[in-house]
Amino acid sequence: MKEVKLNTPLKEKDIRDLKIGDVVYISGYICTSRDMGHLKMKEVIAEGEKLPVDLTGGVIFHAGPVVKKKDSTYELRVIGPTTSIRMEPHSDFIGNLGVKMIIGKGGMDEGTSNALQKYGMAYLQAPPGCAVVLGEKVEKVENVYWMELGVPEALWVLKVNEFGPLVVGMDSTGDSIYRDIKVNGKKLIEKMF
Amino acid sequence: MFWTREKLYEEIYNLIVDTCLSISPDAKDLLQQSLKKETNETAKNMLQTMLEDVEMAKKLKKPVCQSPGFGTVYVSFSDTALLKDIKEIYSQAIIEATKNGFLRPSMVHPLTRKNPGDNSGIGVPNFEFVYKPEQEYVEHILSFKGCGAELGNAMKIMTTAMLGKNYVGFKKFVIETALAAGGKPCPPYVIGIGIGGQMDIACKLARQAVSIRDWRDSNPDPLLKELEKELCEKINSLKIGAAGTGGDTSCLAVKIEMVSTHTAILPVGISFHCWPARRGGIRIYPDGRKERLFLGGINQ
Repeated sequence: MKEVKLNTPLKEKDIRDLKIGDVVYISGYICTSRDMGHLKMKEVIAEGEKLPVDLTGGVIFHAGPVVKKKDSTYELRVIGPTTSIRMEPHSDFIGNLGVKMIIGKGGMDEGTSNALQKYGMAYLQAPPGCAVVLGEKVEKVENVYWMELGVPEALWVLKVNEFGPLVVGMDSTGDSIYRDIKVNGKKLIEKMF
Repeated sequence: MFWTREKLYEEIYNLIVDTCLSISPDAKDLLQQSLKKETNETAKNMLQTMLEDVEMAKKLKKPVCQSPGFGTVYVSFSDTALLKDIKEIYSQAIIEATKNGFLRPSMVHPLTRKNPGDNSGIGVPNFEFVYKPEQEYVEHILSFKGCGAELGNAMKIMTTAMLGKNYVGFKKFVIETALAAGGKPCPPYVIGIGIGGQMDIACKLARQAVSIRDWRDSNPDPLLKELEKELCEKINSLKIGAAGTGGDTSCLAVKIEMVSTHTAILPVGISFHCWPARRGGIRIYPDGRKERLFLGGINQ
């Protein structure tokens, strides 16, 4: 287990070096996306158009902020991770876009594990419910797209400084803390009664 | 009449805001106890971050968690009702708290997924009313329960055969549900279990158990008390941990509520409550007195 500080855009080598259990702090730009945001990305790509942001070496954060509108800009109040498993169907799609890191909570499944290996991505667990701690590491709202989807589902581009602590839950070698816990847990339940 | 619409609105607005800005003291106490016992370094880091989050939320007057989840107000009342306009007052106060940056606008149409942008909508918040003729006050318990946690929930109509000896079938259903939920419900969580009635009743009891009970209390029913303890210990032995990345405590408590059921069925509802216990309450007396519950109130 090591502690690592990374900057965006991420390089594939940075990610291939990460192993489950490592603690990461990230600086640079991260983009939020959740259920509707992923569907919108797919729609845009299917129509042969370009996404509003280049996700090469990018970070997708499964989250939606609490914001307060001030004139024409948004002040980010707090932000924390949402449950990632809902975005399970989209992992290969975002890997193909060049995304190198997914930040969320609760872990993802085998489809994601395959995509992490194929594209050299990692899945990082953010401290759940810790929206003030994480929000304080957001320096500013760089941009927001697709507000028609609503505040939680819009694509927020955030400038962050040492955003974390993030724990590598699933790495690019195919290892997953979440899978290990499930496999071990099943054996423990068999022995319980 | 002391409680004018304006006075009631002010109390309810403040209750909503205070509930978003903190967690109930029972939850904080259990998190601190878990941190003391924790042996896994990652889980320790996560628990420390959670407690730091609660402190920072208080200092900066910001919501503890970005997700207000879905709100339910548990209202008990007697003949001195003081209930006039409360549905409308809550709806309006929630919209105002949303505009002021205390609640994220998260309510959407269930099918079109359209977000009105202000947490307005049919059935928002939800109300559960209980008539208690002996009670001189009206009690509101407001509970914003996160919805990532809902993804771990389960419901089953079990049968006598499925229940098995020593309730093994029931216990396995709960423990397997916790394992399947893993880190999704923002552990360390509290599990509410409703047993009996029909489907709707078991599920409502499960939500109620984690919303209105003190998470440190002890069930007055000896059988349920024993089950709560055993299930909590067994779930923690799975080592899911805070945040779901391993550790000693994933479950802070199990709370079971029970009513009778039909001889043909055993409905069981399981509802996870994430660690950020956004729960607040108020008692309103006809003469103008008021008492806060959970936050800075009589339970502290």
